[in-house]
This record gives sequence, C-alpha cells and structure tokens, in this order.
Amino acid sequence: MLILGIETSCDETAAALVEDGAILSNVISSQIDLHARYGGVVPEIASRKHVEAIGYVIREAFDTARRRPSQIDGIAVSARYGLIGSLVVGVAAAKSLAYALKVPLVGTHHIEGHIFAPILSHPGIPMPHVCLTVSGGHTMLVHVKGPCRYEVMGNTVDDAAGEAFDKIAKFLDIGFPGGPAIDRLALKGSRTAFDLPRPLVRSRSLDFSFSGLKTCVVNMFRDRPPEGLPLPDVAASFQEAVVDVLVSKALQAAERKAVSAISVTGGVSSNRRLGEAFQEACGRRGLAVFFPLPDLRTDNAAMVAAAGTARLAQGEVSGLDLNAVASAPLESLR
Amino acid sequence: MKILGFDTAAPANTIGLVDDDRLLADCAWEARDNSLQRIVLNIDLVLKRAGVALRDIDGLAVGIGPGSWTGGKVGVTVAKTLAYAVDKPICGVPSFEALAYQSRSLSVQLCPLVAAGRDTVYAAFYRPRARALVKQGDYYVGSIEGLTAAVKEPTLFLGKPAHIHRQALAEALGPLASFGSPSDSPAGSAFAWTAWPRLRRGDSDDALSLSPLYLTEYLAHALLAKRRQDREPRG
Repeated sequence: MLILGIETSCDETAAALVEDGAILSNVISSQIDLHARYGGVVPEIASRKHVEAIGYVIREAFDTARRRPSQIDGIAVSARYGLIGSLVVGVAAAKSLAYALKVPLVGTHHIEGHIFAPILSHPGIPMPHVCLTVSGGHTMLVHVKGPCRYEVMGNTVDDAAGEAFDKIAKFLDIGFPGGPAIDRLALKGSRTAFDLPRPLVRSRSLDFSFSGLKTCVVNMFRDRPPEGLPLPDVAASFQEAVVDVLVSKALQAAERKAVSAISVTGGVSSNRRLGEAFQEACGRRGLAVFFPLPDLRTDNAAMVAAAGTARLAQGEVSGLDLNAVASAPLESLR
Repeated sequence: MKILGFDTAAPANTIGLVDDDRLLADCAWEARDNSLQRIVLNIDLVLKRAGVALRDIDGLAVGIGPGSWTGGKVGVTVAKTLAYAVDKPICGVPSFEALAYQSRSLSVQLCPLVAAGRDTVYAAFYRPRARALVKQGDYYVGSIEGLTAAVKEPTLFLGKPAHIHRQALAEALGPLASFGSPSDSPAGSAFAWTAWPRLRRGDSDDALSLSPLYLTEYLAHALLAKRRQDREPRG
C-alpha cells in the first residue's frame, strides 16, 4: 500500500510517501529559524508558513519518491492534537487531495504518529510494549497493546519536557530550540554539580511535572550576573534531572505492564544523555529499548503515513468532513 | 469556460460553479467554525448538482481575504491542493473585488469594506472602467474617521461595515457618500466571475505559492518591535 502522510501539527510542514513499511520520501520544512527570535513557536506565524509551504512539500514528497499522485492508495493526516491553526492546513490539504484523487483518507492522532516512528524504524519491535513519547508539546507514557490500541499511563501535569528545555535555554540565553543547545553544553559540564529535584519520581503515579524543576533552576541562578553562570554545569545538572525522571517512570511503566520492550520517541528522544541512560538502565534489566531513526524523531510525516497504513489496513476510513481537533485524548480514536 | 469559485474567509462560506456567464450551481452556509469540515463536501455537492466532474473544470477562483484568518487559510489550502491535484489554473481573488463585483458597471468610485475587529476596517478603492475594476492606491487598514479623510469624490460604500458605520460616513462625507449592498459574504459565483477575465486570457496565480492576503502583521511581530523600541536608549 502506497500511503501519503501529511503532518502540520506544530511548526513543521511535512509530507512523506511510505510503501509497506519502506520510506520512499520524508520531506520536512522546518520553521525553526522563524520562531527562534521569539524563543518559542508563535501559532499565527506557524499557520501562515504552513499555507505557504504545504504545496511545495507535497510535490517534493512525490518527486523524491519518483511517484505520481495518481499512484497512491490512501492519505493519512495528523488531524488531532496540536495548534489548531496549524492542524487545519494539513487537514485541508489532505482532504482536498483525497477528494481529487478519489482515494481513502484517514485522520490520525499526532501522538499516534510518534508511537509509530520506532515501529517504522524497527519492524521487529515487540507488541505489546511501553512507549515514552516526549517532545516540546507533550510528555506521555503509553501502553501500546497492539497496532492502534493504546492506554495512556502517564502524562505531564504542566510543562512538557521539551518545553522545560526551551524555557531553561531561554533563561540561560543559549538559543532556541533548547534541547540541542542544552545537550551540547551539558557535554562539558558535571551532572552532579547542582542538586536539583526529581519531581514526582517517588510518586506511584506515572505522571510528570517539570514546571517546579524549571522554577527551581531559575530561582537558584536568578540573582547571579549571566556572565558568572557555570552554564555547562547548570545544563548538565538540569538535563540529568529530566532524564532521571523520564527513565525511572518508563521503567516503572514497563514493569507494571510486564512488557519486554520500551520505545522512546519524539523530539527529546534525540537527547544524547537520554539515549545513554536508557541503554544503561534497560541493559541492566534485560529490557529491549528502541529509538526511531534520526529523521523520525522530531515531527515528520513518515510516522503519520505508517500510523495511517495500520488504520487503513483495519478498514478504518475518515469522511471528507474530517475536522482538526486541538486537544483530543489518544484513546478517543476509534 | 467552467470556473469553480469559493470563499471561506467571509462570515458565510460560499461556492459557485459558472460556465462563462451562466451560473450552473451554488451553495452557501454560515461559517461559524466549520469551514474546514464542510468545504470539500460542499464543493462535491455543487459539482454533482451541475453534473460536472472536478477534472472537467477549466479553472479555480478562491477568496484570499482579508476576513477570517483561519477561514482564509482553509480556502487557499483547499484551492491550491485541488489545483495541484487536477492540474488546473487558479486565481486568488481579494474579498474586496468580489464585494465590488455587482457594482462594477456604475460610474462612481467603489469602496468595499471588511470588518477588521474592534472599530477597525479593511478597505480598498476601485474605479470601474469598461465593466472591470481598477484598484486605486493601497489597501487601507484603520478607523472609519481615517478612511473618510481619504475620500474626495463620490463614493459607493459596500459591505457590512458600511452599513454599521453608515451614519458616521454620511455625516463626514455628506453627498459624496452613497451606500450599496450591506452583504458581507459575496456569492461563490462573484469570485468565479471576478477571476473569469484573467483566466480567459491565460493569466493565473502560481498555485503552490498562493497565500491569503494579510493586511496586518503578526501580533508577536508587533510586540517584538515594541520591545526593541523600549530597549533603545532614550534621550
């Protein structure tokens, strides 16, 4: 099945062609430079840029894959979860294309796309497994019972982990997006230089909270002149606190569901220390751990095509009245 | 020449299918927040009613605003994707031109108005010439008072804000001001017919780069500029 995926949930305009698990093209037009000067994603800018980029991105997905629009068997689009002004652009393009080409359309959940990134990267990944999906917009632990069958086990109660990275990077004035900036700086710093809290780490709940950790860092250094800050040590200690919490909660979730594998996905899965810590911890416990291919970690449309392929294979099709929904629980999908 | 025209930037969404000067089918519905949900289904409805396949149209015309920001983006995205998929020419039509379309054979200056929130309006000036509209100067964004200061000749005000601000316009301009249709949502056919002369002479817009008409900058951009200004040393 040749499926076109479309993804415009936040600030990446993406289109991809995936055929039976093979990625034929994976085009991503990132707006990151446009948002950097604001220190975060500005919804109205994101939405305008999606309209400008969407046509080119779709055309490039076909050109790179050397396929024609008339050859596709279906279209999958991230229709739920994200910035509403951004989502509508992808959904409008997807339904128009599905109508013009007379192919089935299926709307997927943005988080479901991220869950499929490691599945697309490693077809042998065991089912069921536990998936930690973590980005600038969400932090979630999901029991993946089977293709398209999910139970959300934990969620952030305030900031997403990636959002905490962005805010700390903004506070330290080291650039946007914060994740890569802190990751780079942390390499030169000490992870134990500052004793920072591990929010909710001892709680039975699998929920996350990063807002207090962020405030703690800000309060600790607010009165110091910026040039006197030991930036690498702050970055490494902060990052270690976030990584500790993420790894510990994912292991708890895996234990509770007695699964043999964990997948880690979303933009924050690119963090080097997070990768290292998961390999260590899972190795000790005899758990397998799976990360997506590098191109599938941040928002992309190949993961959406993969999720859509699974849904279409189950006979699920969305009508042309498909709407975009900004906040919808993962389980709300049929 | 069959042209499918539609608009989702105005308070009512409209679709019209025309063949030269004949209207084949049309459709209108109150937009609220369901432009995205209804637009493709209703395009299908209009085409089916006329017995015309999407592949058999000769061109597309789409409203590019100003108007609803999200609505405008939905319409433009649908239009550019359809144009790409069936490889047809496309014309973006500003709301103002569709609003002025009905009055294009009059001999006064036309000033279609679109609500821009609070007491602000978007406006444009056109002079009809040989049943076509010739735009005069730049688009206007601002208060009604500022707008009346720019009017020096007999002018027909169109659109809902003209109706709402009728008294202020009449008081400021006296006999120079006259008032046309208070409708704020031109029919889909008005968009199609506005684009017709262009499409007929083979003039169209590039589908992939087509964007809505934004007459105001991002709020974030304005705030950033203000913050920079505040940081500048004073004196």
